[in-house]
Amino acid sequence: MELFVNLIINGLATGMLIFLLAAGLTLIFGLMDVLNFAHGGLFVWGAYAGIFTYMYTESFILGIVGAIITGALLGFITEKIIITPVYGNHIQQILITLGLMLVLQELIKVVFGPNGVAVKTPSYLAGSWEIGDVIIIKYRLFIIIVGFVIFGFFQYLLKRTKIGLIVRAGVQDKEMAQALGIHIKRVFLYVFMVGAALAALSGMLMAPYSGVIYAEMGMEYAILGFIVVVIGGMGSFSGSLLAAILVGLAGSFMAYYVPVLSLAVNMILMAIVLIFRPQGLFAMRKERTS
Amino acid sequence: MKLKISLRHIAFFLLFAIFVLLPFVNDSRTLLILLTQIFIFGILAMSYDILLGYTGIVSFGHAMFFGIGAYTTAVMLKQMDNTLFIFVLSILIGMLFAGFVSFLVGLLTLRLKSHFFAMLTLAFSGLFLVLAEKWRSVTYGNDGFTFRAPDVFRDRMTFYFFVFTSLVVIFLALYRFVNSPTGRILIAVRENEQRTKSLGFNTLHYKVIASVVAGIVASFAGSLYAVSLRFVNTSVMTMDITLDALLMTIIGGVGTLVGPLLGAAVIEYAQHALSGMARDYPIFERWIIFFGILYILAVIFFPKGIIGSLRLLIWKWRGKVKNKKTQVALPQEKERFE
Repeated sequence: MELFVNLIINGLATGMLIFLLAAGLTLIFGLMDVLNFAHGGLFVWGAYAGIFTYMYTESFILGIVGAIITGALLGFITEKIIITPVYGNHIQQILITLGLMLVLQELIKVVFGPNGVAVKTPSYLAGSWEIGDVIIIKYRLFIIIVGFVIFGFFQYLLKRTKIGLIVRAGVQDKEMAQALGIHIKRVFLYVFMVGAALAALSGMLMAPYSGVIYAEMGMEYAILGFIVVVIGGMGSFSGSLLAAILVGLAGSFMAYYVPVLSLAVNMILMAIVLIFRPQGLFAMRKERTS
Repeated sequence: MKLKISLRHIAFFLLFAIFVLLPFVNDSRTLLILLTQIFIFGILAMSYDILLGYTGIVSFGHAMFFGIGAYTTAVMLKQMDNTLFIFVLSILIGMLFAGFVSFLVGLLTLRLKSHFFAMLTLAFSGLFLVLAEKWRSVTYGNDGFTFRAPDVFRDRMTFYFFVFTSLVVIFLALYRFVNSPTGRILIAVRENEQRTKSLGFNTLHYKVIASVVAGIVASFAGSLYAVSLRFVNTSVMTMDITLDALLMTIIGGVGTLVGPLLGAAVIEYAQHALSGMARDYPIFERWIIFFGILYILAVIFFPKGIIGSLRLLIWKWRGKVKNKKTQVALPQEKERFE
């Protein structure tokens, strides 16, 4: 029982972090039809910028704010310089965002040094609670709560506000939204910045969870993010939450019961989904051919 | 037109002569190793060009085939015997296996759109990387293992000529392939898949052919790479190899075959030179940044690469001088499609 609960909490926490990463990816893809292979770079920049802010100011909250600002700024620059010139050309988008990923990852090493950085959990989130036999690590619970809060916030934003209406209209039909007088390019920019900020936040929260940050972690987690986006259905926000939880749980249970397969299980999941249901498990609408 | 062809032939012949004679003129070990490395990655980049340049599909799993070749050769030379016969056999088995895997993966994934295809190939090559890491009894995991190369290749010079001959043969074979009717259809798929389909060609069929050819050639490059290092570890399966191939193809020029060769030479030489400079200027330790920026700029401003841009320049220049000729030349190109 104790083991079971712990595995679930572990899986949920990992799932939430991947969700934050995948949420940006899926929004950007749904709206702009751009698959951002540089998302992992934004993730790792968020982690480094946030942790260094945290180490200087000794305030975890400020660290989170720093990560979000860094992410949004990088998102702004990326959209303006990298994405805009290759609009509508899928192959060039894939190639150029991958190149940016490479540059961002190497720049981390130049700015913050090539070695990994050890990260301590802030004192008020360190430690654990014991309820009967079950030990609940505080920080993991914190991540799960943050994940659900952000999911709720964005769900509200997308479904209940005017901004959300515009974004959803853009996802459904870009040309029509444009014809109705919405500056769709500006919406693209804002959505990209929000997505990048979410990736950065995810990186920042990941840092104390894994205990150490390094430049290559971007690509590793970005791959998990892609897997989640594919399983959840491209462009589906709630789909990516369910898929992220699925991937997180599959990872944590496999790591315990069949450790040999733990690295491969997500890849296998994605391959199966892509082959049999390429639009994703929880996709609301069918992928259009345009 | 005739003049251009003969000029090109002369250029190729000169290059050929230079590379044959070079080891006798300057037998420095570093130069031989560098050139061998350039040739091997040139073969890999050419195979990638079949996919990216001629068929217009982006694969992020090319390292998988390179790794299959490298591991097959390394494991067979280590476990069986380091004779020339085993070496040749291992190349053939590696190519067969890579062809089989690329056939299977291609059949499963090439129906999907470009994004999904790119991601799924990434996932498959990730699976192979995990396999290479976990199957410790054969691959020795992350640490890799050393093995003895066939005695003939002890001499760097022999190996150099072997690799160079392979490069020339593969270049001619691929050149023939992309100019064959099948190759022409691949180009048609790149230009407009829907239209090729409506002309009655089963495009999936042709895309699988391209993927198998690219896989086989990449596996061959992997075999040579393993022997050149006499060591193999999981790095041959990593994303870095795919990125190298991608970089060389893009910078050299997609869809030209010669471009990737030039790209391989530029990248390998620059890596060699920059890592040498890193001792004095630490910033050069991060030479990947320069390549990354160069690559981004190339994608935005020179999507055709060095060779492609040069070719375009020559065409424009010729167009100004003899306007009629280019106008005649274009329909001729089109006739060959049908």
